[in-house]
Amino acid sequence: MNIFHRLDRVLLLCLLSLAVIGMTTLYGAVHAGDVSIWYKQGVYWLVGIAAFTVMCFIPIRMIGLLVWPVYLLALLMLILVPFVGDVQMGARRWINLGFANIQPSELMKWALVLLLAYWFAMREASSLKAFAAALLFVGVPAGLIVIQPDLGTALVLCLAASAVILVAGFPWKWFLALVAASPFALYVLWHNMLDYQKGRVLSFLNPELDPLGKGYHVIQSSIAIGSGGIFGKGYLEGSQSRLHFLPEQHTDFIFAVLAEEGGLIASSILFLLYGILITRILIIALRAHSRFAGLACVGIASIFTLYVFVNIGMVSGMLPVVGVPLPFISYGGSALLSMLVALGLVMRVAIESNGQVSWQRPSSPLS
Amino acid sequence: MWNQLEVRRRYDQRIYIFMVFLFCLMLLLFGRMVQLQWVQYSKHFTQSEDNRIHISPVLPTRGIMMDRFGQGLAVNEVSYKITLIPERVENLTSTFNSLQKLLGWSDKQVQRMEKRIQRARSDRAVLLMDQLTWSTVAPLAARLHQFSGVDVVAGTHRYYPYAIQTSHMIGYLSLVRDVDIKDGYLRMEYVGRSGLERIFEKRLHGQLGYRHEEVDAKGRRVALLKTVAPVTGENIQLSLDVELQNVAAKALGKRTGAVVVMDVHTGEVLTLLSQPGYDSNKFITGLETAQWNAWLNDAQRPLLNRTTQAAYPPGSTFKMIPSFAGLAQGLQLARGSTQCPGYIELADRKIRCWKKQGHGHVDMHDALVHSCDVYFYEMGDLLGMSRLTQEAKRWGFGERTGINLPPESKGLLPKERPSMGRRNWYRGETMITAIGQGAVTVTPVQMARFAAAIANGGKILQPLVEKNKPVHIVRTLDIKPSHLTTVRQAMRDVVADPRGTAHRALSRAKWTVAGKTGTAQVVMMADDEARTSSDAANHQDHAWFMGYAPFENPEIAVAVFVEHGGHGGSSAAPVARAIIDAWAEKQRVIHEQVGP
Repeated sequence: MNIFHRLDRVLLLCLLSLAVIGMTTLYGAVHAGDVSIWYKQGVYWLVGIAAFTVMCFIPIRMIGLLVWPVYLLALLMLILVPFVGDVQMGARRWINLGFANIQPSELMKWALVLLLAYWFAMREASSLKAFAAALLFVGVPAGLIVIQPDLGTALVLCLAASAVILVAGFPWKWFLALVAASPFALYVLWHNMLDYQKGRVLSFLNPELDPLGKGYHVIQSSIAIGSGGIFGKGYLEGSQSRLHFLPEQHTDFIFAVLAEEGGLIASSILFLLYGILITRILIIALRAHSRFAGLACVGIASIFTLYVFVNIGMVSGMLPVVGVPLPFISYGGSALLSMLVALGLVMRVAIESNGQVSWQRPSSPLS
Repeated sequence: MWNQLEVRRRYDQRIYIFMVFLFCLMLLLFGRMVQLQWVQYSKHFTQSEDNRIHISPVLPTRGIMMDRFGQGLAVNEVSYKITLIPERVENLTSTFNSLQKLLGWSDKQVQRMEKRIQRARSDRAVLLMDQLTWSTVAPLAARLHQFSGVDVVAGTHRYYPYAIQTSHMIGYLSLVRDVDIKDGYLRMEYVGRSGLERIFEKRLHGQLGYRHEEVDAKGRRVALLKTVAPVTGENIQLSLDVELQNVAAKALGKRTGAVVVMDVHTGEVLTLLSQPGYDSNKFITGLETAQWNAWLNDAQRPLLNRTTQAAYPPGSTFKMIPSFAGLAQGLQLARGSTQCPGYIELADRKIRCWKKQGHGHVDMHDALVHSCDVYFYEMGDLLGMSRLTQEAKRWGFGERTGINLPPESKGLLPKERPSMGRRNWYRGETMITAIGQGAVTVTPVQMARFAAAIANGGKILQPLVEKNKPVHIVRTLDIKPSHLTTVRQAMRDVVADPRGTAHRALSRAKWTVAGKTGTAQVVMMADDEARTSSDAANHQDHAWFMGYAPFENPEIAVAVFVEHGGHGGSSAAPVARAIIDAWAEKQRVIHEQVGP
């Protein structure tokens, strides 16, 4: 049977729907401003789909070979950021490669979940030694991201990693003990922080303290979402977005555009699509032919879950402002590319697992 | 060590837990959306509309005030203002330099403008200069293309063509104060502060219009959604005849005083002049403190409206009051006569008549014509203070006339009983009151109304400032026609009789005039020292004339008051002559035009 017949239709359908919704919403967000953004995103989609297609042909074994090099590359870039990085929005997060700006922390998320999948492919997370090593894989990049400073991304990184570690069999009692100990750890940490660091943490947790800064963004996006009502104001009719009351309306706050113009109906449809997409990735993880492939899918699913929840939670004023894109909808080439590559990997897992019995015993990721 | 079944089982279980967790998160997001988009929808929708829609007011045109023949008294003049939108100006300093050269602005003015620009939004027009004439802005208007961001805008401002003569009646506007803003005024509006501008504020103001504009997040106008046009204020036609007012002003000249002319049938006020006046236009262009203080401290008190706000001793013009009272009481003296030796003896004192040698044998007619004091000393003595003040009250003294120009003075009448525990007035006090001295003061508008009431047969009218309003008769006095005739004929002979006090001034007037002069003492006659002292001008007598014309068929009543003017006959009566002549001429022209 050829690859085309073994494609996962549900995944593909979800992706196509999100592509359509994403491009449509993006046009609504930029039509009153710089429309060239919309064309650029179209190009990114074409490139991304090409990358997705390529991923469908790369065997999982080969991926296994790349895990360590990619992780180390990402780590190297994270270490370099303080020396060569560009400052954007008060933090040093970007590396200029001449042809593109890349965010090492962005690459690190994907590299880390794949590394953890690789690490636990033949290990149980109930093994103290294996867990301790994993803690190091997570802790080093997380620490580097915290000092950028980018608390939000560091948190997302840790949460995505813990999802993989939990599925890899981390015992519940250890987990509960860690959860119980965290307030104490936070207390110690807080008292060892300098004032400006504390200020950063406070404004991260409570943007309302600064109503003209980030607080203004969240207030305006809540108004945009709420004013959409059940049926929305109509496509291209959103006054909050059309008149630029929404900040970053084509990137991180694009959900507000969708919710304003499409109302509760559009936002519900979007949640449903994300729900189906991520559930489908988890189902593919259940059916995966190898433990590495399965855990990789879990890691990817957890990143998507965090992106969706953190982004919408932030835009709707439930969570602090963290620079996290809304998958497949926010404008941005590198984010879209990385997510399509990840989804291509999932698709490859689906293709390889199709017609096979799912894994029963741990095996080398390279076999 | 590897329990393979257990590992796989745990893996499955955790993925299922992940799925449940995912479901919960999605449900949480959905719940949040329900809260924002359904439950709090109306609140958020209102907020988004508030964001989007900027309501800017459009000021209404203020109604104008004109005189009874349509002459503008308070009008709106086209003027020009220069505005600047900071963000459209390439180089602020060089722009100001060239503007300064072109329009001759002072450095101080420019500094003030620059300060205003610093405080303003950069995308909104800032006012640089207001109320400029075309000739001032013309050089800029011709070179406007050289000044990006600068604009010349046409608008209106209030203008009083007869400011000095009508300032007390028309009043003035000034820019809003904080208290007005509570009443719903806007920052850039003008509010009536005094005179009819204040009284008719609501009618003149008109209603604000609105422009609903869609603005973007930076406050830039994107679209005009809706306009509600402002409603122009009411135009008000006053009863005043500004030409007559000018005649009165010219006749008074530089003297301090007041002139009131009233239609005897309707109570419409044709002239209401108080001198000196002030230039009310200065309030519109922004009154400087120095000017305000100068007016406040001026000994001639230009801000005081002498027609209604100030009361003066009426002097002999008051003598019709004891005349009417005496006639009504049927006193012997009223129909008889007395001897005037030039004084009256009271206990050990002599109270003098103004004519030292005396008037000889006088009856009421003669006493009024020659203004004999002794006759009225006796009349007052016979009447008593109580009857005297009651009669005065009937004719409208001691009460506000109700002219729509508050605050108004009531004037002063002696009370029924004197204060300070005395039971009765001394006889001398009553006598003095009978000739309009002592504790009696009246306002010029009361005096005009008194003259009108004599002319119209006893109707006390409310003076009206607007034309064609229903006549308001405060009360109609019950007077015997024969009594009226007696007094009226005496008043006619004040003018007609060659020995009458107003004969010289008014006998050759275009209409037959009936009237009475008054020379009110400011200090007691005995106090001769004061009369010759250094500030003699302030101790000069007040001059009065009151009367009506034509005698046969009265149309207008006139009251002229000249502060420290000296003799009523020589100082006040000529002013009345000028007014009556002017009005008579006007009526003649009108009748000729209407007639065949």
